[in-house]
Amino acid sequence: MKFYADLHVHSKYSRATAKNLDLENLYVWAQLKGIHLVGTGDFVHPVWMKELEEKLEPAEEGLFKLKDKYAKSMDAQVPKACQAKVRFMLTVEISNIYKRLDKVRKVHNLIWSPSLEAAQKVQAKLGAIGNIKSDGRPILGLDSRDLLEIALEADPKNIFVPAHIWTPWFSALGSMGGFDSMKDCFADLTDHVFAVETGLSSDPLMNWRLKQLDPFILVSNSDAHSPSKLGREANIFDTEFSYSAIYQALFDQNDKGLVGTVEFFPEEGKYHYDGHRLCHVRWHPQETTKNKGLCSVCGKPVTVGVMARVEELADRQPGQKSKRHRPYWSAVPLPEVIGEARGVGPASKAVQEAYRKMLTQIGNEFYILLDAPIDQIRRLAGEVIAEGIDRMRKGEVKIAAGYDGEYGTVEIFKDGERQKIEQQLALF
Amino acid sequence: MQTLSGLNDSQWKAVCHTGAHLLIVAGPGTGKTHTITRRIAHMIPSLKPNQKVLAITFTNKAAQEMQGRLLALGVPLNKALVGTFHAFCLKLLRDHWQETALPKDFKVAIPQDIQGFDKAVLERIGLMKSTRLVIEGDNEYKTYQRYLRKNNWIDFDDILREALALLENEDIAHQVRACYRHIFVDEYQDTNIIQNALLKILTQEGTLLTAIGDPNQSIYGFRGGNVALFGRFKDDFPGVRELTLQENYRSASNLLAASCQVMGGLELLAKLDAKGKLVTHEAASDAAEADYVTSQIEKMVGGMDMLSARGAYRSLGDIAILYRLNAERHVIGQALEHLGIPYQVSQKVPKPAGYSDEAVLGQFEEELDYNVEKVSLLTLHAAKGLEFPVVFIIGCEAKLLPLDIHAMKGDPQEERRLFYVGMTRAREHLYLTRARRRQLFGQTWFNPPSPFLADIEEDLKVYENSKPRRGPRKSEEAEKQQLKLF
Repeated sequence: MKFYADLHVHSKYSRATAKNLDLENLYVWAQLKGIHLVGTGDFVHPVWMKELEEKLEPAEEGLFKLKDKYAKSMDAQVPKACQAKVRFMLTVEISNIYKRLDKVRKVHNLIWSPSLEAAQKVQAKLGAIGNIKSDGRPILGLDSRDLLEIALEADPKNIFVPAHIWTPWFSALGSMGGFDSMKDCFADLTDHVFAVETGLSSDPLMNWRLKQLDPFILVSNSDAHSPSKLGREANIFDTEFSYSAIYQALFDQNDKGLVGTVEFFPEEGKYHYDGHRLCHVRWHPQETTKNKGLCSVCGKPVTVGVMARVEELADRQPGQKSKRHRPYWSAVPLPEVIGEARGVGPASKAVQEAYRKMLTQIGNEFYILLDAPIDQIRRLAGEVIAEGIDRMRKGEVKIAAGYDGEYGTVEIFKDGERQKIEQQLALF
Repeated sequence: MQTLSGLNDSQWKAVCHTGAHLLIVAGPGTGKTHTITRRIAHMIPSLKPNQKVLAITFTNKAAQEMQGRLLALGVPLNKALVGTFHAFCLKLLRDHWQETALPKDFKVAIPQDIQGFDKAVLERIGLMKSTRLVIEGDNEYKTYQRYLRKNNWIDFDDILREALALLENEDIAHQVRACYRHIFVDEYQDTNIIQNALLKILTQEGTLLTAIGDPNQSIYGFRGGNVALFGRFKDDFPGVRELTLQENYRSASNLLAASCQVMGGLELLAKLDAKGKLVTHEAASDAAEADYVTSQIEKMVGGMDMLSARGAYRSLGDIAILYRLNAERHVIGQALEHLGIPYQVSQKVPKPAGYSDEAVLGQFEEELDYNVEKVSLLTLHAAKGLEFPVVFIIGCEAKLLPLDIHAMKGDPQEERRLFYVGMTRAREHLYLTRARRRQLFGQTWFNPPSPFLADIEEDLKVYENSKPRRGPRKSEEAEKQQLKLF
């Protein structure tokens, strides 16, 4: 069975997340986005764990569903065309802050668990060494390697995935808080890591440039802090719908269960280029080199982004592929495409109305972005939006790259182009 | 020779000194342990096969550390006995129980064992046991000792007193001296007169004593530590040579200068290039003080949320928050808890069931968990011997430093030394914070700044004041609500 999975999300108990980030809204938004399997996020948090125990029930092996009594009341919010079954998998992200080799390291890591018991064991172990009650993504002064050991001790079937591995401040390979290799980070236990998350600011093409990443399969998730951000990136599986099958697809070098990933255009991510957000300095890595890494406004070192960091660690020419490579599809969130087509912001009322209408008439967002026939979109959503999606699928988008925490901005249409397309249409 | 490399002039002199007792006065960060371990290693080759070195440390943890260092210097473990006074004396009592008045299976009682005695009475007896060589005519003491003996117990203080009685047996004293030709005592400023008496017996017949310590760091007077013994050293151990280590390798120069000013113009030489930063901060209340401290920690560690990482280069284990009284911990602990900043409070080492001698010996020690990095919350006393890149001393207020609050009063000189010990824990950043209003022991206190702060030259201090609060705090809001009820 082919299904989409987003396995890095948070709950309302994490810092800086939406108040409505609960199971019910994840259930709704997973359907709108076209996601069949969504992470619970934050399972270490005691109150959230209580909610999981209360509202979920076992479904397929290692997966959970929202109990009918909670699901029913939400179903009205999901257009018929999007309705589908949604399953949950137990996931959590940990923020590790520690000193290693005389440098402060800040690495975010994901743990996925096959059962409530396994998750509870992880929870108990982490609860014994730190504060897990204040933040759904707890901060622990624990070495990433030791966290991995704890996860494996709790249950050997736990899956451990270094999160958004290129983010400068908070990741295994990040320019500011990371290591130069996975081996430096996970030492003797490196072999127990078999998947890494690319994050929004890098795509598989960039990751293939490092031979050291060859043993790992690349996964992609949204890291959503609100329900509507689900599925910004996702994994496409074609395998049995169960935890074991997912484990196998990630673990087994020869398994083809992971078909590929849906990706952001990496330029759209918050840390693609280098620069200083507050100084409005956005630099391509070459410009950073020219300026010796120092900001032209404040004189301090700029935040080195993902593109530069990949280049620094790369040992392959661009375009070469790793052995475990999978295809990927670059997409722009549908509200942004609609906004571009209309020449207004993605959060505007007009865009939200058009978005809802498309979900109702055509189907879920992934279907619209990746699979729906352009003709159908044209008929139901108009020429400009259809053209926008077509260009996006062909990669014909221009993006002002993100830098130092600022998202990149997508440009699909040049000034005046929209009118031209509409006018052409009016001629017929 | 390895034992003589990496020493400065005075350290080298201390390591190589021979032929007489030695007193090393070593200020904070002057390489005390470095020097003493090198000196031990340097002496080992001159020992005969049946001779050993006895090295006495202040805590079991310090003993473990010293053993580690000695091993690294190639000292065979059978040539050096390293342990606390209590560990050494208990070993003597076990080895020679037949010569003592104790039964073979005597046990060391822990406080939980003792039933039916008032806490104040036990404290008085404890202080007496560590400050008086002879105790006569005290009925409570007699009753208590009979109670212990009836149960085949001795208490923690008795370990030393019984060993002292044992060593009055000249045969045994001779045997011990013949074995231990060199005795080293760390943290000499915190020894009491019983320990002093033990050392006087052990250092006859040519056994030599090396004592190292810092009278300015003597902070255990309240439980019998006697800094006056430092001044009496020449009389107790005739022929002593005295050396001073003054070069400080720990603290940035501004921090060291400020610490010396608090001690009335001490002379220590800063060997680090960095100036460091000493910040003083006055907050409106203990809650505001806690907010200030946690916001500084968030700033320097970063990573509490995605946007605050800039310029952050500290890790959690780099930071300590020190206070005079455990009661001050509550507010700051809650603030850290609320923000999800991992922290640890030093804990007495848990005692395993069916406790052994080893467990008993460790019972009064506080230990930090080093497997996981956390911000450390410690009393100034518990911070002794530790060091951190960043130190906050909260509650720098009159009544707390020096302590004179709620029927607790410290010796003013010892309080000053305690503050000095706290300050000298910092390597790079030292924050001295205070609150104008503080809740303690169910009362609100309005305390002026600690008088110690005024002894620090203004030029060394950076003043940082908190941003005005956006709205009233919840607790204040609740307070108002409560007032309305009346």
